[in-house]
Order: sequence, then C-alpha cells, then structure tokens
Amino acid sequence: MIKAHELTKYFGRQKVLDQVSFEIGKGEIVGFLGSNGAGKTTLMRILTSFLPASSGDVSINGFDVAKKSLAVRQIVGYLPENPPLYLSMTVKDYLKFAAKLKDVAAKQCSAQVEKVMSECRLKDVEHKVIATLSKGYKQRVGIAQAIINDPSLLILDEPTSGLDPVQNLQVRNLIKNLESERTVILSTHILSEIEQVAKRVMIIKEGKVLVDERLSDLLTKSSAQKRMVLRVKGEKKCVETVLEKINDVCLLNTVSSSQEHHFDLELADEKLIHELLSCLVNEPVQILEMSPAVSRLEHTFVSMVNENND
Amino acid sequence: MTKIFAITQKELSGYFRSPMAYIVLLVTMSIFHVFFFIIIDHNQEATLRDVFAVMEFLFVFIVPLLTMKVFAEEKATGTMEFLMTTPTTNTAIVLGKFFGSLIFMTTIIGVIFVYYAIIEFYGSPDRLATFSGILGLWLEGALFVAIGLMASSWTRNQMVAAICTYLILFMLYFSVTLEKFLSGTLGALVSYSGVWSHTKNFSAGLITLSDVTYFVTGIVLSLLITRYCIENRLWR
Ligand SMILES: Nc1ncnc2c1ncn2[C@@H]1O[C@H](COP(=O)(O)OP(=O)(O)OP(=O)(O)O)[C@@H](O)[C@H]1O
Ligand SMILES: [Mg+2]
Repeated sequence: MIKAHELTKYFGRQKVLDQVSFEIGKGEIVGFLGSNGAGKTTLMRILTSFLPASSGDVSINGFDVAKKSLAVRQIVGYLPENPPLYLSMTVKDYLKFAAKLKDVAAKQCSAQVEKVMSECRLKDVEHKVIATLSKGYKQRVGIAQAIINDPSLLILDEPTSGLDPVQNLQVRNLIKNLESERTVILSTHILSEIEQVAKRVMIIKEGKVLVDERLSDLLTKSSAQKRMVLRVKGEKKCVETVLEKINDVCLLNTVSSSQEHHFDLELADEKLIHELLSCLVNEPVQILEMSPAVSRLEHTFVSMVNENND
Repeated sequence: MTKIFAITQKELSGYFRSPMAYIVLLVTMSIFHVFFFIIIDHNQEATLRDVFAVMEFLFVFIVPLLTMKVFAEEKATGTMEFLMTTPTTNTAIVLGKFFGSLIFMTTIIGVIFVYYAIIEFYGSPDRLATFSGILGLWLEGALFVAIGLMASSWTRNQMVAAICTYLILFMLYFSVTLEKFLSGTLGALVSYSGVWSHTKNFSAGLITLSDVTYFVTGIVLSLLITRYCIENRLWR
C-alpha cells in the first residue's frame, strides 16, 4: 500500500530524514518509535503530503504523494501531533466541517458525524465550544476528525497522548478493530501501547530507520527477555547457593528487606528458567515472583537507541 | 464547489465569533456616522461622494485587521495541517477564504445603504453616482481583502500579516501624493497603480472598463500569489 523510496528531508542544513525506505502492506498496523526529534512527525507529514520531501518519493496505493496528492488525501485520515482544532467551533460543527472537506456524501454526513462521536465518546460534549474542552477531549475530537471518512490508511501521530486510561484502551481497541480492512501507522512514546496494538515496529533514530521488524521477531531476538526478576521469602543464602550451582546465570543485583529478597538475574538462555525453578522449589524458600525484568520492548528500544551513542 | 462554500461559511461564522470583527464593525460605523453628518452638513448637498472617500480611507486601516488572521492563525494553531491534508484543492481553500472575508467586508459596506436611505428621504441624490460609487468602493475593498489574504499567507504571525497588508495598502492608497513629484512614464505608472485614480471615476458616476480591469486584475493576481505561497509552504 505504501512504498517509500530513499526519502530525505532537510530543514535548512539539518538533515531530518536520511534515505528512509520501507514498504507497508494493506492491513498492517505499524508503530513508529523513536526519541524526541527523531523525525517521526516529519515522516508522517511527508506521507500525508503536508510537507514535500527534499528527495526520494513515496506512493500510496500507487499514487505519488507529491504529484497526485489529492488522490492520496482522499484515502488518508491524519491526526497531527497537535490536534488541529478550530477553537471557536463546537465539536459537532467542526466534525461536520471536516466531513464536508473530506468528501463525505451530504446524505451520510450527519450519520457519519454521529457515528464517530459515539466511537470517540464525544456525545456529551457535542455542543460545547472546542476551546473549553479538556486536553483529552480535544485529542478525541482530533481522532474523530481523522476517522470521519473511513479512510483506508490512518496516520496517527501520538494518538493517545493526554487520554485517560479508559479512553486509552478504547482508542487501542478502535485501532485494533479497524485492523483487517485498514492500514494504520501510529507513533507513540508509550511502548506498552505499541506492544498491544502494532504488529510491526519501526525504530527511527536521527532520521534513519534503525529497525523495521515484526514485533514478535524483535522480541525473540532481543536479549531483554533473559533478564529476570526473582522475589523470594526466606533464607537469602539458599538462593545464592542455587544460583552459584547453575552455570550461565549471572546475579546482577540484590536488594533485601527483612521479609523479602529481590534478585536481578541475567540468564544466558531461556531454558535456564526451568532449571532454576526446579532447583529452587527444593529449597526452604517461598518464591513470590519470577518475571521478565522490564517491558521487553522498552529494553530493546533503549538499548538500540543508545547503541551508537558512545 | 461545496467545499468552497463550506470554507466560506466557516470563515464567516469565525468572524462573527471573534471580538475583533465586532470592534472593527463598531468603530467603522461610528467613525463613518460622524463623518457622514459632518460632510452632509458641510456640503449641504445630497451626495455620498465624500462619504465614499472617507470609507476608502477607513479600509486602509480596517482591512488589515480583518484579514490578518485568515491564514496566519491557521498556521499558528496547526489547523493548516488539517486543511491541507484534506482532499481540498488549494484553489478552493483560497477562494473559500476570500469569499468569507469579502462577504464580511460587504456587510460593512452595507451600512452605507442606511445612509443612502436617509439621503434619499431628504433629498434627491444622483442615484447612478451613488451606486457606481458603492461598486467602486466594493471593488476597492475586494482588492484590499485579496491583498490582506496574500500577506496572511506569508507568515504565521498575525501582527506581521497586518503590518505587511497595511504597508501595501498604504502605498496603493497614498501613492497619489507622489504624483506631484513625478512626471512622464513613472508618474503615469504610479498614478495608474494607485487606487485613487480608479475609485475617483466610480464616485463621479463613471464606470470604465479600464478601472474595473484594474481591480479585477489586482484581485486575481493577489489570489494567485496567495495560492502559490500556501502551495509551496513559503511561510516556513
Ligand atoms: N518546520 C521545521 N523547521 C525546522 N526544523 C524542523 C521543523 N519541523 C521539525 N524540525 C526538526 O526536525 C527534527 C525532527 O522533528 P520531528 O518533529 O519529526 O521529531 P519527532 O520524531 O516527531 O519528535 P517527537 O517525539 O518529539 O514528536 C527536529 O530536530 C526538529 O527540530
Ligand atoms: Mg513528533
């Protein structure tokens, strides 16, 4: 559906995107990750034809974004980083205006506005002036605007920023439910969100695509899953002897309180978890918890982004 | 087409929701009102010719205030990103916005009709001259609005847009004062490019093709430049 070829973007002398190439198929949900200033927003702006690329080209559904931008804009729903709202309009008027500009047929206009308002839980503020809404509600209006013409490609720049947990879940579900028919690109800084929604992750760093992989592949490859946290109640000594007995288990850190002991471990192999546990059950200790140390994606992300910094 | 209309409607309702529009409307009306009676009293003549002159002068100051936000505000708040990623042509955006401001300006001119009624009631004004005067005024206002839109497309700062518009309008309006010092082709050029030499005929009841062409060309040119500027994102 999307083919990007060697996209490069300069702002003055600053190179913000550097030869970015990728393809995204129909129905994929892709998450863009990257630190602040990595170029995610710029990339999305190029995809939506808001900004021209300095060189390289993108096509969406076979239409060149620069040359056939009108055809591209027909099929793209876009939520910019800051929700683009006319503050003096009411929610309903704004969505109607958006529907008109996005070629929603006049007959379906009101029905469509009603539909997105209920999907984004905006019914209770429909007559409120947008300027008086809270941040989260503004964000929801922004999302409503993006999906109003049932676009086949949704580009969402940090869609869940400012949303409460319930609404957050709702938006994630909304995106998931679109799945089979639509392609979605989203960027976020909340990694657990990507883990739950996206099937594919692109990590962007300083304008380059560092990683472009299926989420599951990325997680299996990463070393993060071999970091474990072990929490036990009982004799600290017993655990330590067990750990010494098993090769390839490295004790990184220990934190103890009067009741519990907390061990950070690094295992050379996933299979060692089993061995470790079977040894521990024979000891006079109570195992309270054994779990992966941090969100695996988070670990991968941090290590990849920091990798070449030194 | 429906999109042009949608944008026009949005612009217009935007005007009526902003305090600036009411302030401009009120100030214009009160200044106009005062001058109207001073002029009528002074001239002892049932004509609006001098009243038009006052109105033309006022436009130099109020049009920049009306048009400054048209594009600048959208750029500052980020709604430009919305507008330009919907399947709407740049021509439709520019025209929609132009018509919105034009209609608002027309309502200001509409005030004149009230005063026309007063004159009609008490005397017998030259109807042709009055209507051609209003036409001239309207064309001038339309040109000023187009120029205001153009300046607003250059920047995201409303103040900058207003000042640019003001400078251009000031030059167009007061270039007549330079005429005295210039002669030959240059003088003719300055005189032609200023609005004064054109509205003068209108308020005298003279509608000529060359004057109408002047305004229409000016409007089309400004709007084309506006479209070019937003198309190429020249404000960045
Ligand atoms: N209009 C602009 N003019 C000049 N530089 C810009 C402009 N827009 C973005 N940049 C620069 O481009 C770089 C990438 O910005 P971008 O907004 O794409 O980052 P991002 O990945 O979206 O970051 P964030 O996570 O903070 O949203 C930044 O260094 C920024 O300063
Ligand atoms: Mg961003």
